Amino acid sequence: MPSVSSTLTMPLMVGTVLGVVGFISVVAMILVYAERKVAAHFQCRLGPMRVGWHGTLQSIADSLKLFLKEDIVPTKADHLLHAFAPVISVMAAILTLIAIPFSSHLVLADVSIGVLYVSAVSGIGVLGILLGGWSSNNKWSLLGAMRAGAQIISYELSVTLSLLVIILFAGSLRLTDIVHSQEAGWWIWRAPGVGLLAFVLFLIASTAEINRTPFDLAEGESELTAGFHTEYSGLRFAFFFLAEYMNLFIVAAMGATLFWGGWMPLHIGGFTAFNQLMDFIPGTVWFFGKVITLIFVIMWFRWTFPRLRVDQLMSLEWKVLMPLGFLNLLVAAFLSLFGWYFFPLVF
Amino acid sequence: MDDDRLTAKNNYVKPVQALPIRGFFGRIAYGLGSLLKGMRVTMHYFIHPSTVVTQQYPENRETLVLSPRIRSQLSLIHDESGYHKCTACHICEQACPNASIHVVDRPEPAISKKELDFFIWRLDSCTFCNLCVMVCPFQCLEMKPTFESSVYDQRLLAYNLTKYAGPTSTVLAKQTDDEARKNMIEPRQVYDGPTELGGFILAGMPESTREKKS
Ligand code: SF4
Ligand code: SF4
Repeated sequence: MPSVSSTLTMPLMVGTVLGVVGFISVVAMILVYAERKVAAHFQCRLGPMRVGWHGTLQSIADSLKLFLKEDIVPTKADHLLHAFAPVISVMAAILTLIAIPFSSHLVLADVSIGVLYVSAVSGIGVLGILLGGWSSNNKWSLLGAMRAGAQIISYELSVTLSLLVIILFAGSLRLTDIVHSQEAGWWIWRAPGVGLLAFVLFLIASTAEINRTPFDLAEGESELTAGFHTEYSGLRFAFFFLAEYMNLFIVAAMGATLFWGGWMPLHIGGFTAFNQLMDFIPGTVWFFGKVITLIFVIMWFRWTFPRLRVDQLMSLEWKVLMPLGFLNLLVAAFLSLFGWYFFPLVF
Repeated sequence: MDDDRLTAKNNYVKPVQALPIRGFFGRIAYGLGSLLKGMRVTMHYFIHPSTVVTQQYPENRETLVLSPRIRSQLSLIHDESGYHKCTACHICEQACPNASIHVVDRPEPAISKKELDFFIWRLDSCTFCNLCVMVCPFQCLEMKPTFESSVYDQRLLAYNLTKYAGPTSTVLAKQTDDEARKNMIEPRQVYDGPTELGGFILAGMPESTREKKS
């Protein structure tokens, strides 16, 4: 598997870092704009319409505003940690991003333990949230951070359980291998039933993991002002915001890679003509198309579903999602052991 | 979308049904089903731009669609000949929770009763509760949809709603002689009248153009 990582030299590395930073800023801006538009139309509104054509420049105006805004730090805050927390959140997002295969050639770091790496590193993000909440010296922030911590740690279990199902079928932790294993068809339907259930579990649990509504307990506006980032303003707030939207992108990218075949075109083992037709569409288009679809679904969730209470959140994870995840994993283990899934002989 | 629920008469409030107990998986399926139903509703809105209610206001000023129930400005209804039915009974004045209405009457020499002189309505303190419209025994008040009432001087928000001082349209209709009818009424302008915002003069603002009635 040719990858960029093997040929990295110092200037190239700096370039890569700058590229990644540029990429995440652009993606976050587009996502914020998309979210506002999508939310508006779900609620019979129009969303931003004034800045640029149909408000397309709204995100740029908003980022400029955040850059120029005064950065207010509470007097009794822990200044070092307060400054450090948003950086940790963004760092975690960037580190996760580099392991994701965007197309057959665009893989910044093809880690052999890709899935493990992604779930481990994205877990660092919660450290940023916890530190931010703690260092603000504000009870809303602290409560929000504690909730975020409890929530992310709980739902991490379900995410991992659903990822394990795919790892069983694909037989590898390397993300590029997982993508290649889906040449004959995406795991969501090739693994009968369990693939779909794992995908649903993954979608629910990772929506909770990135603290998005209906699981936005960490920043419940009605009860905790703004949760862990109550005391953040200006650029530091922008960093948390950036991390939030990058995590949305990462979750969608992981979902697409593991369940929807990543940059693989839609192949159905056997139908050669159909497969060749699908091959004409470049891999990056496939990848981003899948990611955008998933992001849209997650936004759709956000603007439709009622919000959960903290106890409901916990019982959903520990009483519903986790038992289902274990059951699913057990069934999936049998299925993959006996090869009871579609097109097992293709790879 | 569950359309029959929206259109069915007298059926807005449905009795709360206890969640049927269907066991662990049954309840998960039930919950997922109801979530999907919600997603169907929001998707309906998403793919039907005609459901958007936002008005691009200053641009579509000409074609603006307002709710028929909009309450933006109180007005005293004047008929085609420019006469109103207000008898200066002060009921609206008393019903107003904010004392935004000030009905000024004057003696009507012909029938030794009172007639309306000024109908002062203060937009700045009105909450548009519609009580005055509802209590008027002669239905002379209505809410108009004209909402562009911003001015640079707060005093200009105290309007005189009547176009003339004089008796009601019923009394005027009985008067057959045009000249005599003209003599019974006296024209009034929108900023005429005695209410001067409690005597405040706002700094930096031009003096109100309203002429005071002596
Ligand atoms: S609408 Fe309500 S507040 Fe306004 S003038 Fe009438 S009674 Fe008073
Ligand atoms: S508007 Fe109606 S309620 Fe008010 S004084 Fe005139 S007749 Fe009476």
